[in-house]
Amino acid sequence: MAIIEQPLALPSGAPDVAKRPLGAFARPREEGGFKSWLTTVDHKKIGIMYGAAAMFFLIIGGVAALLIRIQLATPNSTFLSADAYNRIFTMHGTVMVFLVVMPIGASFANFLMPLQVGARDVAFPRINAFSFWVFFLGGLMLNTSWFIGGGANGGWFNYAPNNGIPYSPSTGIDFWNIGLLVVGIGSLTGAINLITTVLNMRAPGMTLMKMPVFVWMTLVTQFLLLFAIPVLTVAQVLLAADRLFGANFFNVEMGADPLLWQHLFWVFGHPEVYLMILPAFGIISEVIPTFARKPIFGYPFMVFSGIAIGFMGWGVWAHHMFVSGIGPLSVTAFSVATMFIAVPTGVKILNWMATLWGGKLILNTAMLFSIGLVTQFTIGGLSGVSHAIAPSDTQQTDTYYIVAHFHYVLFGGALFGFMAGFYFWWPKAFGYKLGEKLGLWNFWLMVIGFNLTFGPMHILGLQGMPRRMQTYDEAMGFGFWNMVASWGSFILAVGVLLFLVNIVKAHLAWRAAGRPDVGPDPWDGRTIEWSIQSPAPGHNFDVDPVVSSLDDFWHRKYQPDESGKLRRVNTGDDLAQAGDPTGVHLPAPSYWPIVLAASLPIIGYGLIFNLWLGLPGVVLMMISLWGWALEPADDLDPNDDHDDHATPDAELETVS
Amino acid sequence: MSSRLIDTARRSRGKFARLAAVPFIALIAAGCADDKPLNTFEPRGPMARDIDDLMFYIWPIMGIVFVLVIGGAIILAIKNRVKPEDFDPEDLPAQTHGNTTLELAWTIAPAVLLAAICFPMVAMIWNLEEKNEEGELDVMVIGQQWWWEYRYDVDGDGFFVDANGDGVVDEKDEELGLDISLDPDDIVTANELVIPAGEQVDLTLTSRDVIHSFWIPRLNGKRDTVPGRWHTWSVEADEPGKYTGWCTEYCGLSHARMRMSAIALNEADWETWWANQSAPAAIPTDEDALAGRELFQNNCQRCHVINDEDLVYADDFTEQIALVSKAAPNLTHFASRSTFAGGIYSIYAGGPDGSTDANDDALNPLDYVRLPELAADPTTTEDYRFNSAELKRWIANAPSRKAMAADPVEETGLGRGMPAFTDLSDEQLDQLVAYLATLE
Repeated sequence: MAIIEQPLALPSGAPDVAKRPLGAFARPREEGGFKSWLTTVDHKKIGIMYGAAAMFFLIIGGVAALLIRIQLATPNSTFLSADAYNRIFTMHGTVMVFLVVMPIGASFANFLMPLQVGARDVAFPRINAFSFWVFFLGGLMLNTSWFIGGGANGGWFNYAPNNGIPYSPSTGIDFWNIGLLVVGIGSLTGAINLITTVLNMRAPGMTLMKMPVFVWMTLVTQFLLLFAIPVLTVAQVLLAADRLFGANFFNVEMGADPLLWQHLFWVFGHPEVYLMILPAFGIISEVIPTFARKPIFGYPFMVFSGIAIGFMGWGVWAHHMFVSGIGPLSVTAFSVATMFIAVPTGVKILNWMATLWGGKLILNTAMLFSIGLVTQFTIGGLSGVSHAIAPSDTQQTDTYYIVAHFHYVLFGGALFGFMAGFYFWWPKAFGYKLGEKLGLWNFWLMVIGFNLTFGPMHILGLQGMPRRMQTYDEAMGFGFWNMVASWGSFILAVGVLLFLVNIVKAHLAWRAAGRPDVGPDPWDGRTIEWSIQSPAPGHNFDVDPVVSSLDDFWHRKYQPDESGKLRRVNTGDDLAQAGDPTGVHLPAPSYWPIVLAASLPIIGYGLIFNLWLGLPGVVLMMISLWGWALEPADDLDPNDDHDDHATPDAELETVS
Repeated sequence: MSSRLIDTARRSRGKFARLAAVPFIALIAAGCADDKPLNTFEPRGPMARDIDDLMFYIWPIMGIVFVLVIGGAIILAIKNRVKPEDFDPEDLPAQTHGNTTLELAWTIAPAVLLAAICFPMVAMIWNLEEKNEEGELDVMVIGQQWWWEYRYDVDGDGFFVDANGDGVVDEKDEELGLDISLDPDDIVTANELVIPAGEQVDLTLTSRDVIHSFWIPRLNGKRDTVPGRWHTWSVEADEPGKYTGWCTEYCGLSHARMRMSAIALNEADWETWWANQSAPAAIPTDEDALAGRELFQNNCQRCHVINDEDLVYADDFTEQIALVSKAAPNLTHFASRSTFAGGIYSIYAGGPDGSTDANDDALNPLDYVRLPELAADPTTTEDYRFNSAELKRWIANAPSRKAMAADPVEETGLGRGMPAFTDLSDEQLDQLVAYLATLE
């Protein structure tokens, strides 16, 4: 090879003192303090930031929800104007879907999945940080529209042609469009990252069918994201071309068919529903076996039903369009497909119940929220079947019956599952348990408030109350149940608030007690994340765990004695790794993910207001891509003896 | 399990089944109350009844699943719980990993159950669709922000569009950008779809701006009206009566105030109505009303149409109509309707204080067709007063009475909704109202 013939550029053996090219900065080294959070590439810190950011957006979306409920509590209310109401319900839906439920799922996937597969980090740590910052800054950008565009007003589904300039001239919809485009980039890079991690970085011995159910559901979810987000992006780019550059993709006068938007949106939108709920399914599939003290019933069925939901989720999108005029053949096909998606979902419900069957249940907060998911989601699933019946859907669609349905699925389903996950993995993330007493209040207030809020909406919908209504007349007879729902929403809000109070209280109590060690395995857990110290040390595992079965950690604790009866042979504390980072090499933090992510909203503002304004964003993006590419692979500990990023001359030596 | 335990379990199961059934029963009971004009459980026509029957075939199945799953989960949670103080780490339950037979069973059983639901459902999807072509009368329903227009195919040529075009198109219409493609011979009304009772009416649905959805719950489900598309739909009412509806696809600012109704008439009333609507607008004799007619000509006619040959456009109307939808309600027989402003205000107010609740069902539905007569009859004026006060407020400043975006958008120069007429004096407003009151 020609390269061997050439003289070597650097003298071998001497320390590498070569000048770095322009723009190659040393990597930051902070391990604690505020700055370390901005530059971290640690999947656990990123996971926690996803959760914290989601909580921040939850407060915005929650306040919007309460404003809606105040407005609708009484007939002909003038609390909110029609314009304000339309913007608030649009932003409520958008924020809750894209900036609360999806990020909480991402939070668990980031924090937990590498721990459960026995990895030290995700496959691309810097891209992981980039995904988070893109989501967070894009979400902030979207929310700045409250102040400078008045909030989007086209509904979260943002149908054409109402999303066009003639009907929605304010910049609210541009913020919705560009903000979500930016957020979508984060989801996409995150999906590639997490899929790679699951497929390539599992601990020795962990075959696919020995992965925890949560990891499986994360894998399915990320594949859904990978294929669904680009479809939304396509729709949004078309809309951006229409709104910002006068294109005619959705201009009916120029021959466009508005159903194009509906198809694009729902081809994304329905897998979206499953990618919001599947992480929660994964979470309770970990919580229920732990506290029922028996393995998940029918692990293969749980896995394959999850995959089946992931696949079938692509063939049902037009059930959002049964009244759009898509013709009886399409209606029939999508109607039948939608019905049969109830089969894998039903399998999951019944398998969870079979796990409860014969168990010895510890009914703590995490377990109660998990059982809450099973029951509340079932209600949402049943109302879902009634929508699948296309003729009956023509009476129910776009009424409050639908509002009730998807809140039972996404709040009673996804969010209850996430609550279970928070209570369950809190000690692993922060080193202390959340208060159980406050936890029970948290659970019961949420269950009662939730059912009081959304239960009556079934009735309202069947009584004919349409969705997205700023107000209604007394003569329509919607007053009573709306009032009940509004009271319920405040009980629900108190329930959610108690969760935040619980976090603060438990943290303060833990600090006051001198930060006692909660132990590696506070719940007698089943999966390998409980085999490391709490909170999880920065390097996760001292040595790569070797996995030999599903629920590997549990099987190392409990083994059958001579008579075949299961005995505890080890405690979790005995088996746990010490948390000693000696000799562990970790990726160094980096400035570039946050800087690169920050360039995107700047370009976004430029697109909306003035292209020149976007120029600094483009420049910043080029600089950060350059800096990212040339960033040296510094170690936090320059004296470590790992040679996994050998200098080029060493490589050349090998070649020669 | 001891017999005592079995008894307890049985008792608690019964109790929980009942508890779980309560919301379901309450749901159905609440649906039967009769003060809910949009109730989806009170079909008053064959299509709505078919849908209702299908729902009540499926709901009991769902109710059973609901009770079994929710009740089951709660019973399991209560029965199998271990108190923290009784917890013994070595006391493990049987470690069941699964049961393939059982799991296959509860994969296949729901699939069979769903298939059982599928057959009648698929049959109904096609039946309802095919029915859409069978009616005698064709009506075109056009949605626009934020009111409904209805066009009746009077000449029976099967077209809502003007087949030959020439001669009937007013050049001025074309110049003003009015929608000239529609058949000018049709009866054109707004807000209320008047239909003969006991007869299927086929609807052709479209929109002039954004997507709306046409929904009269007691007569049929909903179908979207999509600009650039013509969807078929149909309604039929068993009995004469007023059937309330509401636009159910979010259509922008005043979506909450885009309402409508269907008024079904018996044969005699229907014929009267048809004859009346087919006639051109009456020319008033009253001095005030005549002055109002002139005001109409000089102000309102830029958007509103009245079928009156002498009502020619004023000379200074040269600009295009400044509405995205290029249409405003045809007012030829304004006073024969019961509501205005997208179905939110009553044209005839019940009671001296002028109640403006358009969804007030206190009037006998049959009276709607006779409202003008009744209002003119001195013995009934108290109940059926022409709602001059609200109409006057509306004309003077419509955006203050219903959220609208009448100011033209910079990019298109077009607005949506009716602008305020701040230039008109109080007297002029009275004259306009007087004119509109004559348009029976």
